[in-house]
Amino acid sequence: MKNEEFYVPYIEGSLGMRTKRTLKRFVFIALFLLILGALLFSYFQNTFKNSTFELTKSTEITGVYHESPYPMLRVQIDENTYKNIILLGFGKMGAHPFLKKIRKEAITLNGKTLKIEGNLIYYNGKTLLQITDDEKVIMINSSITKLPKSKAISQMSFQGEIIDPKCYFGVMKPGFGKIHRSCAVRCISGGVPPILATSDTNNISQYFLITDMNGKPINNDILPFIGKPSEITGIVEQLEDWYILKINMESFQLISEKSNIYD
Amino acid sequence: MGLNYQFVLWNKHKKMYDKIIVLSMLLYLILFAVVTLVFNSETSIETLILRAFGSLAIVLLHIILVIGPLSRLNTNFLPILYNRRHLGVSMFITALIHGGFALIQFHALGNTNVFYSLFTSNLDYNSFTNFPFQVLGFFALLILFAMASTSHDFFLKNLSPTVWKRLHMLVYLAYALIIGHVFLGAFQQETSPFTIGFLSVGFIVVGSLHLISSFREAKIDKSIIDKDAQGWLKVCTIDEIDDDRAKIFTVQNERIAVFKYDGKLSAVHNVCKHQGGPLGEGKIIDGCITCPWHGYQYLPHNGQSPPPFTEKVATYELKLLENIIYINPKAFEEGTEVEPTQIQKT
Repeated sequence: MKNEEFYVPYIEGSLGMRTKRTLKRFVFIALFLLILGALLFSYFQNTFKNSTFELTKSTEITGVYHESPYPMLRVQIDENTYKNIILLGFGKMGAHPFLKKIRKEAITLNGKTLKIEGNLIYYNGKTLLQITDDEKVIMINSSITKLPKSKAISQMSFQGEIIDPKCYFGVMKPGFGKIHRSCAVRCISGGVPPILATSDTNNISQYFLITDMNGKPINNDILPFIGKPSEITGIVEQLEDWYILKINMESFQLISEKSNIYD
Repeated sequence: MGLNYQFVLWNKHKKMYDKIIVLSMLLYLILFAVVTLVFNSETSIETLILRAFGSLAIVLLHIILVIGPLSRLNTNFLPILYNRRHLGVSMFITALIHGGFALIQFHALGNTNVFYSLFTSNLDYNSFTNFPFQVLGFFALLILFAMASTSHDFFLKNLSPTVWKRLHMLVYLAYALIIGHVFLGAFQQETSPFTIGFLSVGFIVVGSLHLISSFREAKIDKSIIDKDAQGWLKVCTIDEIDDDRAKIFTVQNERIAVFKYDGKLSAVHNVCKHQGGPLGEGKIIDGCITCPWHGYQYLPHNGQSPPPFTEKVATYELKLLENIIYINPKAFEEGTEVEPTQIQKT
């Protein structure tokens, strides 16, 4: 049967019955596909971690400042129990630009007691603090508190992924992997400490602050390896609640397996 | 057809079309948000926005891309084609929210310019799986911006239909870039077979419909036409053309529409001056060839739009011998008057 219908936009009544039927069918099918797309793309997302970033809530933390080698605040949480909180700057920056002002009050900050107001970031037992205003970094006690030294454990190899802790522990979801690589590169090149996140077969995670063999910060050399499954060999040291992994960049190997931290 | 430019020439159907677009997009975004918050409540609002708008944009792009071939295969789909640009602009806005938000989320507030960061934060340009997928999305967004910002008859006229059409054909490059963006980006980490399968089926449907409609048109282009001693081409018999309709023939790489109307025959170049619509699939209405895409009109005997409109198409000479139509392949200048060939009543 020939289709005599001919729709002209400006001619009233030119939309024929067969055309109307076709259009209705098209709209229903398109709507069905749209709904199906919304359901599939939303339901089949990897599960997000229950990490937290207190963007709108400020918290005051008092502790002893140290650089081991990245800025941290050592806070006593119980008798003989301490937690080292990693300090970060606003946006994709490390803490140093926000400590410039307080540095004018003392030649060295290491061992001094500071009170800092900022936004907490926490996940899996680790805590970080974002400083947004250098006026909110106050020296409480200028006498120097003796800090514990890190203890050497042994040379070990780990498989995992270099992440930026700010995003991984709360600011972004997901804060790891290829989707997030550009952001992690920006953060670590901005001074956020690089961390190796590993996960064993029982899904128990360990985190290692990465330094060079002399224990100095290593930010720029590590940029090409961020967000990629890697195997790294280095000397493990423990500083209370943090592990430090001292590495030679030559020991860095990219691996083809999926990183366990994706699970 | 219009002489003056207005932002949108509203009519009843356009309003209905746009309502359906807006409500469907809202439905998608609400559904995406509700399902995510119910089943994966630890999401962040930023990720929710990025993923809802990004996935909506790609679903919309698939719907946009099937409209063209569906309209070529079945003219009942033409009213959707008529208003496709509104769907295109809506898709661009959706993609812009996704792209703009991603640029801020992943590159802003750092130690360098966001655009410099976009191109340099991942330098694995020589790797397939590690390729900086965000760059692909950025270039796709630039193309979509160029298309959306020129989606108006003002630009169509001022850029010239040929340039405008070429610019808008870049949608296929944008589609390829977006497919690369998703498969080398999100799908490297979000590996559900359901979402990858959904998009793969979409790609196959878009590709198949384009191939089927192209094969059908290629048949017209490849049909062999006999020549007579004077070089006129034998195209068909009178009975093969319905009244007030046309048949399309390809002569020397140009498509020509031969119309039968009021006991007469006329031939014009098949391509409408507005958006390149196939005039030969049109109809004679009020004595004028009427383009099936947007209703632009031309007088069959001279290829000119009726006054006060000024569009013109090339015309061709026909002759009729024993019910067989012959065409002179040499085109006249656009808008040249050609005496219609009279059909003798038997």
